Amino acid sequence: MTAADARAVIELDRVDRYFGAHPAVLDLSFRVMEGEIVALLGRTGAGKSTALHMIMGVLEPTRGTVRVEGLDPYAQFKALRGKLAVSFQNDRLLPWRAAWENVALGLEILGFDRETQRDRAIQWLENVKIVGEENVRKYPHELSGGMRQRVSLARALCVDPELVLLDESFSQLDHVTSKALRTDFTELVRRLGKTCVLITHRIDDALEMADRILVLAAPAKLALEVRVTPALRSDSDWLEAQHAAIAAAMGGEDEGEAA
Amino acid sequence: MSTRIDPETAAGLEPPAPAGAERNYFKRDLFASIVIIALIAFAMEAWSWVAPVYIMPSVVLTGDEILTILGEDYIHIVTTILRLLFAVAFSLVTGSLIGVIMGIVRPAEPFIKALVVIFTGVPALSWMLFAIFWFRGTEERVFFILAVILIPFYALNVYDGIKALSTDLVEVVETFRPSRWQVFRLLILPHIVPYILMTTKSIIGYAARMTAFAELVSVNTGMGARMGLAQDELNMQGVIGWTILLVIVNLGVQAIVAWAEKRLLKWRPEVSVR
Repeated sequence: MTAADARAVIELDRVDRYFGAHPAVLDLSFRVMEGEIVALLGRTGAGKSTALHMIMGVLEPTRGTVRVEGLDPYAQFKALRGKLAVSFQNDRLLPWRAAWENVALGLEILGFDRETQRDRAIQWLENVKIVGEENVRKYPHELSGGMRQRVSLARALCVDPELVLLDESFSQLDHVTSKALRTDFTELVRRLGKTCVLITHRIDDALEMADRILVLAAPAKLALEVRVTPALRSDSDWLEAQHAAIAAAMGGEDEGEAA
Repeated sequence: MSTRIDPETAAGLEPPAPAGAERNYFKRDLFASIVIIALIAFAMEAWSWVAPVYIMPSVVLTGDEILTILGEDYIHIVTTILRLLFAVAFSLVTGSLIGVIMGIVRPAEPFIKALVVIFTGVPALSWMLFAIFWFRGTEERVFFILAVILIPFYALNVYDGIKALSTDLVEVVETFRPSRWQVFRLLILPHIVPYILMTTKSIIGYAARMTAFAELVSVNTGMGARMGLAQDELNMQGVIGWTILLVIVNLGVQAIVAWAEKRLLKWRPEVSVR
């Protein structure tokens, strides 16, 4: 697909969101094109999650317009059924459902029969490297943190959404697990051609995964935009320079970033 | 006191006790129960040597009475069990529905909550007397007494359960844009099952006693009514025999609830604190 063919999956146009008198998002505008992986990067309180909640359609903007697949995600909430999926910072697995049943949650809501749910859920668990009848039947408390997050990602991807939203999905995992999961996820999303918005406060995560990085400074205003290509990603000097520029735009690195 | 956290396990919680350990606990508890029963029987027997039969009959006499009840009066045991189970089942469904409505319909919440709380303050004896005045049929009386006493327990516990529902889980389910029915079926209902079971476990013994008490004061069938008859006839072995059978019924129903809990809540991690 060429850049000219690509259509905008997400469009935010001069969006403000206030909580009382406090602005969480101010005059935020950006577009995310089909098949793109975009990172929304910012310090805690920069308004990233508020922006994400507006894209999800669970929060209404105070001013401006949000469009997902050309639809207003808040006013036309049900119209986006099956078109977007979210994976959160904590896995948020339903404790009473086995791993495969958690993955099948979206399919069940979309009305797929039980057999299809199970087949597709197990296939997706394999895609995220959870294999074996014993593992797919395990309840969340029987899985490790990394496995639970993999189940959470499989649950998001299982409904075959146009748009995948990741809200700090890798930030609670240890460095090694997080790295492995990021690599697997990025490969999978690129292979499937999914559009993906990644919310993170970690500069390295954004540089590693995203095609484009939108740096937000509190309240969520676009402070910097960085395009990343595979060639640039392997250029350590460029990465170092961008890391410094992004950190400056964010107003300094967030806690834990150095780790 | 410190909570033991095992880094090897997935959730930072101790793994469930192995099946062998569970069997050992069962054996230990069974042994303790047998010892206590034997001691009570010995105490009764010893007392019967010095007391008249209308104060404390011998163990043999009481055993004979129990066999007579099981042979001739078993229909009263069945009647009481059916009354108990039907009233508990009805209260479970109705009370849980009221709890769900209290939890999710904001405008109704304060009114239903006030009503339920007021109902819990009315003494059981008052409900029994109201039932005698209001209902002519014996079954209606017992059913009314049990239902009106048990429903508030379910309503309040399920309401508390819904209030404890994690907003994280609500949000993750809502990302898939479910219908209201799907939210109820996939999220709320499984979430409140532990609260329903916990309530059943807590009230079942109380409900069994209330059933016998309601039968004693308002009807002439069932274990409670037969206990009343035994008392009128100064038949102490009858009173003790019915009491023992009531305890067995109570334990039997509690065992069924414990079995249901184990089956339905197998997804819950076992946590131990030392």
